[in-house]
Amino acid sequence: MDKKNIAVVYFPGNNCEIETLEAVKAAGMNGKILRWNTQQDLRKFDGYVIPGGWAYEDRVRAGIIAAKDPVMNLIKEEAKKGKPVLGICNGAQVLIETGMVPNTQDKVEFALAPNINPFVKGYYNVWVNMKSSGKNAFTKLFSKNEVLYVPIAHGEGRFITKEKSLVEKLERNGQIAFKYCTGSGKIENKFPVNPNGSMCNIAALSNKEGNVMAMMPHPERAIWQRQFPGSKKEDNKTANLKIFESMKKYLKRK
Amino acid sequence: MGKVDVDLVYVSSMSDAALKKFMQKNAISLKVEEARKIVKLIGRNPTITELHIFNIQWSEHSSYKSSRPILKTLPTKAPNVILGPVEDSGIIELGMHKGEKYGIVMSHESHNHPSQVVPYEGAATGIGGIIRDILCMGSRILATADPLRFGNPNGKNKDHVKYVANEVINGIAGYSNAVGIPNIAGDIYFDDSFDDNCLVNVVCLGMVKEKDILHSYAPKNSEGYDIIVVGKPTDNSGFGGAAFASLILDEDTKESNKSAVQVPDPFLKNMIIRATYEVFREARKKKVKLGFKDMGAGGIMCASSELCADAGYGAEIDLDKVNVSMDIPSFIIACSETQERFTWISPKSFTKKILEIYNEKFDLGSVAENAKAVVVGKVTKKKDYLVRHKGKIVCNAAVDVITSGIRYERKAKKPKRNFSEPNIKERKSYNETFLKVLSHPNVASKAKCYNHYDKNVQGNSIIESGQADAGLIRVVGKYGVALSVDNNPRYGMIDPYLGAANATAEAMRNVAAVGAIPSALTDCLNFGNPEKPEQFYDFKEAVRGIKDAAEQISYFKTKNPVPIISGNVSFYNESSNGKAVAPSPVIACLGIMKDYSKAIDMKLKTSDSVLLMIGNRKDELGGSIYYDLHKELGKNVPGVDFDEHKGMIYGIIESIDQRLLLSCHDISDGGLATCLAEMMLGGSADGTIGMEINFNYPHLRDDKILFSESAGFVVELEKKNVEKVQKLFAKYQLIAHELGETSKSDSLKIINNGKKLVDIKINKMKEAWTTGFAKVLE
Repeated sequence: MDKKNIAVVYFPGNNCEIETLEAVKAAGMNGKILRWNTQQDLRKFDGYVIPGGWAYEDRVRAGIIAAKDPVMNLIKEEAKKGKPVLGICNGAQVLIETGMVPNTQDKVEFALAPNINPFVKGYYNVWVNMKSSGKNAFTKLFSKNEVLYVPIAHGEGRFITKEKSLVEKLERNGQIAFKYCTGSGKIENKFPVNPNGSMCNIAALSNKEGNVMAMMPHPERAIWQRQFPGSKKEDNKTANLKIFESMKKYLKRK
Repeated sequence: MGKVDVDLVYVSSMSDAALKKFMQKNAISLKVEEARKIVKLIGRNPTITELHIFNIQWSEHSSYKSSRPILKTLPTKAPNVILGPVEDSGIIELGMHKGEKYGIVMSHESHNHPSQVVPYEGAATGIGGIIRDILCMGSRILATADPLRFGNPNGKNKDHVKYVANEVINGIAGYSNAVGIPNIAGDIYFDDSFDDNCLVNVVCLGMVKEKDILHSYAPKNSEGYDIIVVGKPTDNSGFGGAAFASLILDEDTKESNKSAVQVPDPFLKNMIIRATYEVFREARKKKVKLGFKDMGAGGIMCASSELCADAGYGAEIDLDKVNVSMDIPSFIIACSETQERFTWISPKSFTKKILEIYNEKFDLGSVAENAKAVVVGKVTKKKDYLVRHKGKIVCNAAVDVITSGIRYERKAKKPKRNFSEPNIKERKSYNETFLKVLSHPNVASKAKCYNHYDKNVQGNSIIESGQADAGLIRVVGKYGVALSVDNNPRYGMIDPYLGAANATAEAMRNVAAVGAIPSALTDCLNFGNPEKPEQFYDFKEAVRGIKDAAEQISYFKTKNPVPIISGNVSFYNESSNGKAVAPSPVIACLGIMKDYSKAIDMKLKTSDSVLLMIGNRKDELGGSIYYDLHKELGKNVPGVDFDEHKGMIYGIIESIDQRLLLSCHDISDGGLATCLAEMMLGGSADGTIGMEINFNYPHLRDDKILFSESAGFVVELEKKNVEKVQKLFAKYQLIAHELGETSKSDSLKIINNGKKLVDIKINKMKEAWTTGFAKVLE
C-alpha cells in the first residue's frame, strides 16, 4: 500500500525537524523536511507537521511571523480540505497565531503566554504527564484516560483566552485534546502538574473538525522507551508514537 | 621583507616610553620587547594592521606562550586517538557501524573574562564558539556540557555573584536552546576565589565518519583555491577578544573591555549549521576536498593565515570584499571576532555551490542583514600573508612568521602553604549536619539551572543532566556516549597536584558509573598569572596531576593512557588585588558504550535490593563540604590511589556490562551520606525507596565515615548477584563492602557499630537538597 506523505515544514530558526521527521517515519508514513522558501509544491503532501524551535527567532511574539508566512496560507487552505496539520511547541504557537486552532470563529482566539512557574523563570524543560481528553485525528488510538509521559521545552506555553465561555465550549466540543495531569491521570491545576499555568491544564488544542492540533509538549522526543528518564534503555516504541500513528490512521480512512 | 603601501609604525626608533604609550593608546597589549621583536622578524617596521595581528597571535590565548612546554608532557597519543590536540577539536574512535569507522569530536573551551564583564553575552558566545570548533571538523553537533564556577553567594560580593550566575545560566540557555543542542552534563561550584572572576567553561561533542573529517588547513595542491568567509557581516564587536582574554580584569578597564565581548546570534548560527551540513553532503557527494575553520580569536586574519600556513601556502586577502556592517579600519576587519563566521578553502569549481547553499537555499541574508558567504581571497604558492584594503597593501609578511607564535620559559616557585586539620567536636546524631550538607549550594540539586536548558532536543538523550554521574546520548546504532565534567576548586587550593588528579579520576569514575568506558579526556586549565612563579607552579603541578591520572588509571584493561585530545588554557584569572582563582583544571571525560541499553543511572530501583560500597572511607576531608560548613579548609585532600581507581572503574564497567547492577553512584562531594541520599532521591528528587545502612566500620570517626570525600562507589543490586559482584571486585584486590539494604520505609537510616548516626525522612532530605542551590539564584 502506498505510504502517506507528510511535510515537516521548516521555518528559519526551527530546531526539532530531524526528530519530528523520525517520528513521522517511525509511525509508518513517508516524510520530508521542506524549507520555508522551497519551490516544491506543498499541496501535494497528505499532511503537515510544523516542528518546534524559534521560527523567525520568535520576533515580536512566538509564532506570529511564521503565521504570516505565505506557506501558512497554503497549509490553511489544505487544512480546509481535511488534511491533518500538527504543530508541536513552536509549531503550536504558529497554529494558534494563524487562528487555525481553535477556529470556532475566523480569528485568533487563543494565545500562548509566558509560563507561570514558581521555580524557573522563562524556558523550562522537564518531563510531565498528560492525557487525551478530546477526539481528533491525533488521538484516535488512545484509550480513555491513557496517561502519556512527555517532555516540555518552552518559555511561552500557557494556553490562555479572554473568553471564559470559549473554554467551556471547547471542552464540550472535545477540542481540548490533551490536558496536563498527575502520573495517575488526575487533573490538578497547580504546579508542577500543570507546568506553565495553562488554563484548564490545556496541553494541546484542536480545531472543531479535529484535523488541526496545536500541542506544546514534545511527543517526538519520547517515542522510544530509551528516551524516558529512569526507564530501561530499550528501543521499544512508546505510547507517544500513537499521536503520529493516529495521524496515519486518520489519513487511511480519509 | 614585504612591501606595503601604508604608513609604518616606527617601533625601532621610538623610545620605550613612547612605544608603550603608543601601544596603550591603540589597545595593543604587546610588551615593548615583543614589539621590537616584530621588526627583527619581518625585517622592517610594521604597519598598524601588522602590529594588531601580532598582538593577537602573540597573546597568551592564541599562542599558549607560557603553557606550551608544560602541555607537551600530557599523554595525547593512544590507539583510539584519531586526532589529538592540534586543531580546533580532538577526535576519538567510537567504533565501526555498517562498515564505517566513526569518531567522536570533542572540544573544551573557556569564556571566563567575557562572562565576568557581560555575563549573558559572554556565556552565550562561549557556546557559540565551541559549536564552531566542533562543526569545522566536518561533524554533526551532538551535545554540550557546562562547568561553571561562581563567587561566594553569601560573601561580600553576593549581589553581583548572583547576578553573574543567573545571567551566565540565561546566556547558555539562550544560545544552546535556540540552536537546538542538548545540554547533557555540567557542574557548578561556588567559592570566594571566584568573586571577581567567574569561570565559564564549555564542552561540546560531535560525530563524524573518519573518512569525512575536514581539517583546518588547506587541502593538497590547493594553490589558487578560493578563500571564502561565511556568516554574519564583520563589525567591530569582539575586537581584541584574544588579547582581552590574556589580561587581568580590573575595575577601571571593565567598561572599555565590554566591546571586546562578541555579540551572539544563535538564530543565524542555527541556519549556518544547517546550511553547512548541506555543504558537507554536497562536497562528499562530489568528492571535493576542502579546508574549513572556525573564526574565533583573531577573526579573518587568524583563520585564513593558519589555514594556508599549515598547508605550506600563503594567502592574499582583499578586505574590501568582506561583508561589513559598518565602516571600520582595515585592522578591525582583519582581526575582529564577530561571531557566527567560518572560513572555507574551496576549489573554484565548487565555490559556486557553497555560495548558492548559504546565499540562496538558506538565504542567510533574509535571516540577518547582510549575512552571506563571499570570496575574500585566494591561496598562494608564495608563502606570504598579503592583505589589501582600499587597493593598498596593509600587511605583507611571511605567513609562518605570523603563525609561529612566541614562547616563554616561565619560572615556577612552590608557594608557602600552611594547612592543618581542624578539631571538630563529634556529635551523637548527624541528622542536622547532614541536612546542611545536602543543602550546601555545591551539593544541592542543580535542577533550577539545568531545567532551564534543553536536555532532550534531537531526541538522542538517554541519561539527562542530573539523573546520574554522567549524561549519556545515543550516537549511532547501539553506541552510547557518556560525558562528565569535574573539578573541586577547594582541593586545588590545598594541593594543586591532587586537585587535578582527583578531577581527572572523578571525571573517569563518573562516566564509568553509567557503564561507559572512559575513552578520552579534555582539560580546560583555569589559572592565575603565569608571570608570577607561585601561580605558575600551581599550573605545572596541576598538569602533572592530570598526566599521572590519565596515564596510570589506564584505558580499560590496557596499559594505554586515557588520552587528552583537546583542551584550553585560561590564564590571568585573578582579581585586581592580585589573588588568583582557586587552581581549576576542569576535566571532561568522554565515555563510550557499545550497547546503551545496559546503561544505568543513580536512582534506587527496588525496595528489596542490597547496597555495596567500593572504595574505603579514609580520613580525607581536606576541602570537603563538611569542613566548609565548619568554615575550615583542612589539609587531607583525598589521595588518588591509581591502582585502586583502576580496579574500581574496571569492576564497575564489568558489572554494568554483565547487567549485575540496578543503580550506581560515585561518592564525592558530601561523602558517603550524600551519595546515599542522592540515590534515594534520584535526579528529579521524586524517589520513594528508603535505605537501612547497618555496618561496623572500624578505625574512623563517625563524621568522617559519613562525610569523607574519599573516592568510591555505592551500587544497588539484587541479592542473588551480591556474591558475583564481590568476586568481580576481589579480582582487583578490592572489597565490595555490604552496607545494608533498600527498604519500603520512607527514610534513610545509617547505623554504625550499633550507633544510629542518621535517621531522616526522605521528604526532609528532598526539601534540603532541592532548595539549597535554588535559593542562591533568587
